[in-house]
Amino acid sequence: MAIISNNDIAHAIYLATRDKNKEEQSLVYGRVVKFLNRKRLFSKVPDILFRLNNIINKYEGRINAKILSEKLLDEITKKEIIQTLSRRYSVKEVILHEIIDEKLLGGFKIEVGDEVIDLTIKKKIEKLQEHLINNK
Amino acid sequence: MNTNNIVENLKREIENFSAETKVEKVGKVMEVFDGIAKVSGLSDIKSSEMITFPNGETGVALNLEEDAVGVIILGDFSKIKEGDEVKATGKILEIPVSDSILGRVVNAIGVPIDGKGALKIEKTYPIEKVAPGVITRLSVDQPVATGIKVIDSIIPIGRGQRELIIGDRQTGKTAIAIDTILNQKGQNMICVYVSIGQKDSKLRKIETRLEEGGAMKYTVIVSAGASESAPLAYIAPYTGVSIGEYFMDQGKDVLIIYDDLSKHAVAYREISLLLRRPPGREAYPGDVFYLHSRLLERACRRNKEYGGGSITALPIVETQAGDVSAYIPTNVISITDGQIFLETDLFYKGIRPAVNVGLSVSRVGSSAQIKAMKKVAGTLKLDLAQFRELEAFAQFGSDLDDSTKRQLERGKRAVEVLKQLQYAPIKTEHQVVTLFALTRGYMDDVPVDRIKEFEQGLTEYSQNNAKVFFKEILEKKMWSEKGEEEIKKVIEDFKNNFIK
Repeated sequence: MAIISNNDIAHAIYLATRDKNKEEQSLVYGRVVKFLNRKRLFSKVPDILFRLNNIINKYEGRINAKILSEKLLDEITKKEIIQTLSRRYSVKEVILHEIIDEKLLGGFKIEVGDEVIDLTIKKKIEKLQEHLINNK
Repeated sequence: MNTNNIVENLKREIENFSAETKVEKVGKVMEVFDGIAKVSGLSDIKSSEMITFPNGETGVALNLEEDAVGVIILGDFSKIKEGDEVKATGKILEIPVSDSILGRVVNAIGVPIDGKGALKIEKTYPIEKVAPGVITRLSVDQPVATGIKVIDSIIPIGRGQRELIIGDRQTGKTAIAIDTILNQKGQNMICVYVSIGQKDSKLRKIETRLEEGGAMKYTVIVSAGASESAPLAYIAPYTGVSIGEYFMDQGKDVLIIYDDLSKHAVAYREISLLLRRPPGREAYPGDVFYLHSRLLERACRRNKEYGGGSITALPIVETQAGDVSAYIPTNVISITDGQIFLETDLFYKGIRPAVNVGLSVSRVGSSAQIKAMKKVAGTLKLDLAQFRELEAFAQFGSDLDDSTKRQLERGKRAVEVLKQLQYAPIKTEHQVVTLFALTRGYMDDVPVDRIKEFEQGLTEYSQNNAKVFFKEILEKKMWSEKGEEEIKKVIEDFKNNFIK
């Protein structure tokens, strides 16, 4: 028996509601709720919604990027990061989520999905430590 | 200490340092249990790719699912916790190899555990490799002298062969393997002993025995002990064969012993069940045949154009109450080129090694046997089989004809001759002399209880008096008419003195 994953459900919801008007969409939502109730999947709703959000972002050319830095970045740097990321991932929109982390010492770290670009001073020091140990 | 130098050196190193930044694929640990971790992320990971955990432990990706990756942890998993960030390395699991690994005891990931310091690493070898293809191979035609009479004469093993040693617990399976290693001294053979799920005390005993016999100089021990986690037991045989391949790539002959593959299959079953793979027969996963076939296919003899060298594999499988029709024994029997079947009954009858000659077979080894051995051992297997049949039959009647009586007497002596003490391997030429005396009927009038004494005396006497015969066997692997005349005379002389 095939198992329907949360991702499959989220994908189905997206395809069923895409290109529909408001009334049609509310009809679909009602059916989705009934389906989730029948299959006893209410406990999976947060994960399904998270996946649905990712699917919508993917289809609409949007990405969520987390930026960790020691202090708030200036607008020019942020603009440059957005431009670089939209080129790299070929997307129309980049949504930045800024997080302040003083332990990074300087620079910043970008996280997009499971990809990480680490440009912090902390990471550089770690690499230097590795270099000095391995090249003794 | 010159402090100025330190500062200068440090400055230079820092100047030379360039921190390259690259995009890294990371994942997060979702759950950890019994040596297994479920990791989210790591979208581009390959099967069997190495993964590093923040505490420095290594893992291997085994299950690639839609949202998560099932990872086996090779080491201490108690410090890994939920939410830990893991990184993919982009490399298939590798182990360090070098010539200095000889004489060492390493764990399943190639790290020394014998307290003799770190290894000087020259190269790394992937633990999973596709077995050499047909074009690169050569048929088996060089013998592996085990030093055990019953094996070298009746179930001969060739270089590049895979011969299974199978039997119940406490029947002498490991003893055969260890004797074989001990007998490789001066035979131009590198030995790898892979211990899977064995007690540490047993391993220590084996190491000491090999050390005493001077065998550690050409031996490597790979150990995944009973106290270690299932992932380590699972990869240990692959590590062993990779070490073997390192030496085979130098054109050397390698003998590898997997002690034992039943425990290996159990470790793999444990991992598979924890990874929620569907269980099949005896709860083993569906790919348990492939688990062993891909391992044993790496044993081969390569032709000269591809560097020569060989890997001979002696896998060991433990049976339960002599049941060879269980899942793992039948699998490994069908993969290997023959089996040495050991029996509890024979063991307790005092027939040691407790080899059941009827059920044991070597499918390719006879072409690797030297001519002299082939000639003396030609009818031995048949004689023994007939003896067993007659022995059973003779229990019912007392009136036996002369030829039957003769066959029975010969059989008793053959069984006696094939008995051998542990850790006492016998040179091929000495085995030839003994079997020559047996099959030509020189032992027929020696009392059965004095056969061992006769054999020992004859070996010593012929060594000093049949020089031509010995020289011919060592150099041409067969005796000439002159050699035959000489050995016959020597045996008769010795016998005349012995019977008196």
